[in-house]
Amino acid sequence: MAYAGDFFALLQAYQERTGVRLPIINALGEGTPLSATREGHLEVHGTTVIALKFRGGVLNVGDRRATAANAIMYDRADKIVPLDDHTLIAIAGAYGRAMEVVRYLRHAFRYYARSQLQPMSLDGKLQEVSRALSANLPNALSGIGLFVPILSAYDPETDSGRIFFYDVSGARFETQEYGSAGSGAERIRGVFDYIMQTKGPFSARPLEEVLEEALLMLDIASDLDSATGGIDKVLPTARYANREGVFEVPAETILSIVQKIRARSR
Amino acid sequence: MLTPYDFQENLQQRAQYIRNRLQSGSPVIGLSYDLGVLLLSVRRQARKVYEIYDRLMLSAIGNPSDVETVRLASIDFAHQEGFVRSPDDVTVQRVVGFALSPALKKAFGDPLTAPFVFRGLFAELHTSPEQDLFYILNYDGDFMPAHRFAVVAGTSYAEDQTVRYLKERLENIPTLETAISCALTAWGIARRIAIQEETEHVSASDALETLRETLDSETHVEVGILERQTLRENRFRRLRPEEIAPLLPSS
Repeated sequence: MAYAGDFFALLQAYQERTGVRLPIINALGEGTPLSATREGHLEVHGTTVIALKFRGGVLNVGDRRATAANAIMYDRADKIVPLDDHTLIAIAGAYGRAMEVVRYLRHAFRYYARSQLQPMSLDGKLQEVSRALSANLPNALSGIGLFVPILSAYDPETDSGRIFFYDVSGARFETQEYGSAGSGAERIRGVFDYIMQTKGPFSARPLEEVLEEALLMLDIASDLDSATGGIDKVLPTARYANREGVFEVPAETILSIVQKIRARSR
Repeated sequence: MLTPYDFQENLQQRAQYIRNRLQSGSPVIGLSYDLGVLLLSVRRQARKVYEIYDRLMLSAIGNPSDVETVRLASIDFAHQEGFVRSPDDVTVQRVVGFALSPALKKAFGDPLTAPFVFRGLFAELHTSPEQDLFYILNYDGDFMPAHRFAVVAGTSYAEDQTVRYLKERLENIPTLETAISCALTAWGIARRIAIQEETEHVSASDALETLRETLDSETHVEVGILERQTLRENRFRRLRPEEIAPLLPSS
């Protein structure tokens, strides 16, 4: 029971014992003058992710583009990652740091469940994300490693999805119907409300409909924001969580919706 | 009269003490089947089959708190390594060989500490049943790998006889259902021979009779599996009672 399921404490003990410095525990920019990191760095950033509730679960959709300053670095980035069988995380911002934190969370949730013989509670998981973000704050302040996640979870007690977003310091906010992050998301914020006011809340609509809305919004975001990859050249990623678990929407399904959207706008 | 300390005698006494305590332990059967690998045992209240890491699970006989110590040490090591390096670098060979075995050997040989009352069976999932790997880890740090099936029981004779049965029964790779009914019989053989030392041979029907006698409202068959193909995030799961019930011998 040395660490009572706390993966962070386990890693700290590992670091003390072995002397191997782990980036997850130590801020990247520690001891680096701010000016050295703030100017002209080419850190890769992921851009637009959208989380929407649907009847019985929660859907996450993200484009595949990753940029560094105004250069497109990668067009197959996967910004939506399952953390366990009930939880998805969508990330926008510094890709390297975010993926390190995602790796940490995947291990932290499982380490707790395996060692304590019970799954970590949803609140416990949300707290773990807060902790990882506040530990990352020195990085964010020094100008590298800034990212914000959206956490989506299936809640068996209400048989519905739940969506939480965070700021860089680890503050947590629960949203009613949707969440979004990244440069493209800011441009389309009004669209969410327009859709809900004209077609009803996302949480009352079936997955297929909500998926189509999400892809349409991603398409609009890519028209308004150069850092968002769009839906044509490389298909976006879509994953959802419901009572059965966490699943990826097959590429064929996404392709047929994309073709439908294109047919409509021609 | 004061006798001088004899290292060898001390080890023999410790080994005898542990063997006596292990003899009544509920055996553990490990089997590879077409779509995964399973560990089966019979238990009272406490759990007996544990997930260690993405492709690794453990079950054991011994003192519950010693089993718990080994279990947590395995989980700690696996998660540190899996995070600092990669999940692909967490192998049963490393967990047992480097993280656990030396510590068990040290505790066993140190006259000032209590030795572990422990004999454990690790199962590691691979892409095909032939590649799946079992490791038996002993209280003195000794360990041995096995393929396709492995048994941990109260006496080494019981283990040998049960392995012989499995060898005869399992010429081909079984399905999950065949594997479970095979493992249930194997459990009965291992149990019967371990607690009745004069027994030399146990028929399949006698083995199932032993199992039937053991099972009651507070004693259950527990099966943990690691699945080769799954849509779930975790390959490990424990079978639900209703999945096991149809395969149990009818009373």
